[in-house]
Amino acid sequence: MRGVGKSWRRGPLGSPRFLVGLGMIGAVCLLSALADSLARFDPTRSGVFPLSPPDATHWLGTDELGRDIVSRVLYGGRPSLLIGIGAAALSTLIGVPIGLVAGYVGGRLDRLTMQLVNLLISVPGLILALIITAMIGPSLTNLVLVLGFVTWPRVARLVRGQALAIRETVFVEAARAAGGGAAWIVRMHILPNTLAIIATQFSLTVAYSIFTSASLSFLGVGIPPPTPDWGGMVRSGLNYLALNPTMALAPSVAVAITVLGFFFLGSTRK
Amino acid sequence: MLALVGRRLLTVIPSGLIVTALLFFSVNGLIGSPAELMLGTDATLEAIAELNRQHGFDRPLITQYLEWMGKALTGDFGRSFTTHQTVAEAILPRLPVTLEIGIAAIVLATFAATTFSSVTSARVVVRPMATGLAIVGITLPNFIIGIGLIYLFSVELGWLPSIGWAPWRTGIINHLQHVLLPILTLSAYFYGVFTLVYQAEYDAVRRRLFVRVAKAKGLSERQVSFRHVLPNSILPVITYVGLSLGQLMGGAVVTESLFSIPGIGGLLVDSIVARDYPVMMAIGMIVVITVVVMNTAADIVYTIVNPQIRLD
Repeated sequence: MRGVGKSWRRGPLGSPRFLVGLGMIGAVCLLSALADSLARFDPTRSGVFPLSPPDATHWLGTDELGRDIVSRVLYGGRPSLLIGIGAAALSTLIGVPIGLVAGYVGGRLDRLTMQLVNLLISVPGLILALIITAMIGPSLTNLVLVLGFVTWPRVARLVRGQALAIRETVFVEAARAAGGGAAWIVRMHILPNTLAIIATQFSLTVAYSIFTSASLSFLGVGIPPPTPDWGGMVRSGLNYLALNPTMALAPSVAVAITVLGFFFLGSTRK
Repeated sequence: MLALVGRRLLTVIPSGLIVTALLFFSVNGLIGSPAELMLGTDATLEAIAELNRQHGFDRPLITQYLEWMGKALTGDFGRSFTTHQTVAEAILPRLPVTLEIGIAAIVLATFAATTFSSVTSARVVVRPMATGLAIVGITLPNFIIGIGLIYLFSVELGWLPSIGWAPWRTGIINHLQHVLLPILTLSAYFYGVFTLVYQAEYDAVRRRLFVRVAKAKGLSERQVSFRHVLPNSILPVITYVGLSLGQLMGGAVVTESLFSIPGIGGLLVDSIVARDYPVMMAIGMIVVITVVVMNTAADIVYTIVNPQIRLD
């Protein structure tokens, strides 16, 4: 197990998949961060030419209220990224300690925790998120809370598996023989060796959360209008697919690039 | 063997109780009370209290949960707040629709994943294509895949109707034209998962001795792949079918909304938007119970087919 973390640091930069993912995410983050200076129009202000096709002024045309699609797609990245990263952070905060304790302590506590975790994983995340979000009302904070709650069991299961494997290694045994307490061993030996898994799972959770929150918006329980939001844009663009297809297709491509990017980052194995 | 299957079956009861209680209590905890949910926060406290009393929502949650479960076991899920028909009446006619596209999507995904990844001619090209398509299927949300398909086949090419539903009685061809895109949309994710699972097993099986024997016998690459490797690699895919049911319901919700299909998933979204507590609760409960049952079924099937894991 020695050097698992190290090989992760060295490894992925040589992988084309990782680099492609990094490029995609870098581009999306940069465009969202610079939306204020890049967008040439106010994303929420209606214009006088609804549903106009792409031209020199509106590169991807305008939506049903005459709003510039390019500007809306640029601004729409912000809530998606915030929700994705926020949910993954919450999911990590809940899942990692539970996984570490279950894996290291083992025994009955582990069995019980894992039964509950497996049960929670089997419940369809989208449906759970749909019902809860509709109940508590869609807002950025609520979506982060709901998606963090839906995704932590997977993190816990992965971390627990890794902790279980590392617990049996010689260097942990040595640490125990040297008189190291459980908390110290978990912090100094188990946690550092699970960081690689935590990092990749973090990226996958971001992908899943953006995927799910876009689906929720599409179903009509996402961030309320007029805030530009990719899933919501696709939802309204669906009615005008024949008139101005970019209205639905542009935000779709944006979601696709973002989710795919995080998926690539998270699925790169050494 | 039988004892093992029995023991696995028994786990359905505690698991089912835990997930249903979790859903019931968390939803009720979040909404305050069903009457409040339906009437909105503007309603007077008296009106809310009155409606809660009428439907028995003012009693302790545990009583309500036990009563709900007891009635549900006899097929009584209450009445819809909006249409006033019984929930069973609302759900039953929609069930075949969801089952049809769900089963078709799973069958299609299984067939495509195993065939596409077993092809031996032009392997250098076909394999990466199969994998690439799998990644697209896994990562892209259903509605985006659906919109892409609608744009391509309905708007640009004009081959298929875009959205809407045509029951069987409107003609077989008409029906098939309307279900084709929804089935493709729904199957994309499962095609992806099944492909990755299948490829891993397929590559491992290919290295086994009996495959070399089959080749030494003089069978062609294609025969070896489809007759010897495929049947021996399909087990993990079958297990995954059972485990994907939850995902399937999630996918059905989005797909049915996108294509305006009158199934259970669409009904769930409608009931959530209309704040129709009884319908929403019934569908949520049915989904979680089905998922628990199917997971156990997958577990049992796996134990029966693969004696190696009968250890515990």
